[in-house]
Amino acid sequence: MLLAMLIVSISLYHLFSESAEKSAALSTQQIVDQVGLNLNSYIEDMMEISDIIRSSLKSDIYQKDDLPYILNVTKKLRKDIATVVVYSQRGNVIISNPRGVYNKNYEVTQQDWFITLLNNPVDYIFLSPHVQRIFEDSHPWVVSLCRASAYYENGKPVVFITVVDMNFRTIEKMCNNVSLGKRGYIYIIDKYGNMVYHPQQQMIYAGLKTENTMDALTREPGTYFEDFDGERRIMTIKNVSYSGWRIVGISYVDELVTNRKHFNRFIMFISIFGVIFEMMASMFISYKISQPVKRLENKMKRLENGDFNISVEEKGEDEVRQLSRTFNMMVGKIKMLMDQIITEQEEKRKSELKALQAQINPHFLYNTLDSIIWMNENQNYEGVTVMVSALSKLFRISLSKGQEVISIADELEHARSYLTIQKMRYKDKYDYFIDIEPGLESERTLKLILQPIVENAIYHGIGPLNEKGIIRISVKSEGDNILFQVTDNGYGIKPEILKNLLSQESTSYHSGGVGLKNVNERIKLFYGEEYGIEILSEVDVGTTVNIRIPRKPFQEGR
Amino acid sequence: MKFTRKTLFVALFILILLPSGCIRESLMTKDDPVHIEVIVKNRVAPFFSVVKMGADAAGKELGISVHFDGPTDEKEIDEQINIVRKAIESKADAIVLAACDYERLVDVVHEAIAEKIPVITIDSGLNSKKVKSFIGTDNIDAGRKLGQALVDKVGDKCKIVVMGFIKEAASCIEREKGLFEALNTYRDVEVLDVLYCNSDIDLAEQLTLEAMEKYPDLDAIVGLNAQGTTGAARAIIKQKKVNIVKIIGFDNTSEEIRYMEKDVIQSLVVQNPFSMGYLGVKYAYDAINNVKVPEIVDTGLTVIDKENMYNTENQKLVFPFTDDYDDYDY
Repeated sequence: MLLAMLIVSISLYHLFSESAEKSAALSTQQIVDQVGLNLNSYIEDMMEISDIIRSSLKSDIYQKDDLPYILNVTKKLRKDIATVVVYSQRGNVIISNPRGVYNKNYEVTQQDWFITLLNNPVDYIFLSPHVQRIFEDSHPWVVSLCRASAYYENGKPVVFITVVDMNFRTIEKMCNNVSLGKRGYIYIIDKYGNMVYHPQQQMIYAGLKTENTMDALTREPGTYFEDFDGERRIMTIKNVSYSGWRIVGISYVDELVTNRKHFNRFIMFISIFGVIFEMMASMFISYKISQPVKRLENKMKRLENGDFNISVEEKGEDEVRQLSRTFNMMVGKIKMLMDQIITEQEEKRKSELKALQAQINPHFLYNTLDSIIWMNENQNYEGVTVMVSALSKLFRISLSKGQEVISIADELEHARSYLTIQKMRYKDKYDYFIDIEPGLESERTLKLILQPIVENAIYHGIGPLNEKGIIRISVKSEGDNILFQVTDNGYGIKPEILKNLLSQESTSYHSGGVGLKNVNERIKLFYGEEYGIEILSEVDVGTTVNIRIPRKPFQEGR
Repeated sequence: MKFTRKTLFVALFILILLPSGCIRESLMTKDDPVHIEVIVKNRVAPFFSVVKMGADAAGKELGISVHFDGPTDEKEIDEQINIVRKAIESKADAIVLAACDYERLVDVVHEAIAEKIPVITIDSGLNSKKVKSFIGTDNIDAGRKLGQALVDKVGDKCKIVVMGFIKEAASCIEREKGLFEALNTYRDVEVLDVLYCNSDIDLAEQLTLEAMEKYPDLDAIVGLNAQGTTGAARAIIKQKKVNIVKIIGFDNTSEEIRYMEKDVIQSLVVQNPFSMGYLGVKYAYDAINNVKVPEIVDTGLTVIDKENMYNTENQKLVFPFTDDYDDYDY
């Protein structure tokens, strides 16, 4: 944008300069043309006067005596004529106006122009400015028009030379009043390059100033741009009729192009202004865009460092706002997931805690101990042994040295111990069968998943039964899973209760118990959502509880 | 970071406001009223009217205002001092001075310089090192040229009277000095007398008449300035001793030129007063603008006589474009 600004400024400047220069050249041309016209008519007048004199000398109409009168009138009419002199070919003054005391030191016949006119008669000779010496006591600067003519007297040609001396003043006035700017001017040179008129003529004569008269002399008439003395100026050249003179108009570009210096300064300031403005604008724009991005970047850094309690203001342009929004969503989601994990871990611990509690169920313990005491009192020492060893096995496996995962064999042993104890307490209310698919004994399982099921089966299934109950536990592989099945032929579960069995606390079933729900949750937490408990039941027929876990190779801890 | 950005923003904003003021200023055309006072010895003397021409030419070229002033008589030293003082009071930007007196103008010139008005001297110098420049004729050389012209026109064996002007004027002193220097080598040139006409033509005429009586075998008079030369010429014409008592003179008034054409004056040493006026103003302008100016400028001399005065070069020097020469009416 900076570049564009510069280019525009520079081209504007050039455009202005060019057109200003052109119009300056044009006005100079017009002025010079005007002066040229004036000068032309002036010189033509000179020629005319000289013609009048010549013809009056030649003609028969005018007498020679009329000549003084004619000269007088002419001179009065044209104040710029200094003198008119008519010479004989011997250099004698035939007539002159004004009259005066002739300078005896001035030999006209020795003048170059006189000699030329006599011998090689050209029509006329223009003499460049010189000091007139014709008269004593008078030394004006004049320009002379000299012509030779002849009249016939008695058939013989009489040659005479007319000299019209023009006061330099008129030319001076004509050219001085020309206005070509404050410093511009007009000067006139003759065909040899001599200075006819220059406003600073004295200075040029004194050697204090020079003009490039050679250029003015050799160039074709027209308008030129040139550099002289370190300044740019316009030179207009025009020829003047008859005399071989040239008018040269000089004008200074700087002046005519009004206040060019001021304009330069103006352009410079505009450019600087534009540049500064442009810088400000781009700063502003980048601020608007980059600020939100920077904020986003900062928050991301914090995220990197583990701080999830962040969010970004959704400000700025569309793209940035979108970024921010997405970012916020992402952070939210991450936070949620992390919270979820924490919650899950908590739940796990809680469940395990409960399971732990269940491992050392006080009710069961003292009931069983009661049974042992009672059996002992009844001297059923065998029964005592069985019950005690079953109890010890039960608790040993419950603890399993703190491991969560045990072999299926052990888990079955745990269930068997429980069943044994309960059977003895409930006086053979039921029979139980345990079978396991060969090879699965050493597979691993989450511990204490069977006993709560069996407990339920005993209390809710078989308990109310009038006939002998059967509880069957089987372990088999089902694809990649292991299926535990606990079947009883008990009461069954009503469908509406069945629905809610795994979803609510089974406190209604057994106070302080672990419950189906707990086992289900534990399995799901441990192995995943696709595993767990499935309950199938038919009222008055029986209940089957399926427990599925994945068949995984042994892992140390989990 | 945000802070720095904001400050930069504000700074730039202020920066924009500055140029706008300058733009307005630059768009207004400023007129430069530099004013230079040119104070000469005699404002009506033909010599100084040519000085005025030069000064005016420089003024026009530079586009400045030039005012020309001076007493009507070289001897009115106090008058000139007053004029200089007036120039100081009117707060002229510079003064170009042709001093009537080498010593007595020093004080007032120093006053001007103290007011930071630079002073350029032309034609007649001043006894001060504080003037910026002296532009004028090498008057000693002028004297020498007079001596040489005398020997050329009159011969190396003659009796002469020297017509000085103001005894204390530096130019007079120097021209005398140069003249005697040149005449030293011509043992047979006898200086009968040295007179001082106080730049009064009539007095010069008077003194010449007396001298011609006193020294009947007088061969020539050497005029050291225009008035002396002119007075002497008039006396010689009166006594009908044209070309008998020759004159070697100074400057080129129209009267002197006429006399030269009539053989009354044999040779004239001509100065360049136009240049003095022109360069005086030009260097004064430079001095105002603290541009260095040359300490001494020699404007040059030309020796003319009847034969060479009309050749192209000398014509320009001898007949400057002034009103003096425009006499048509008889």
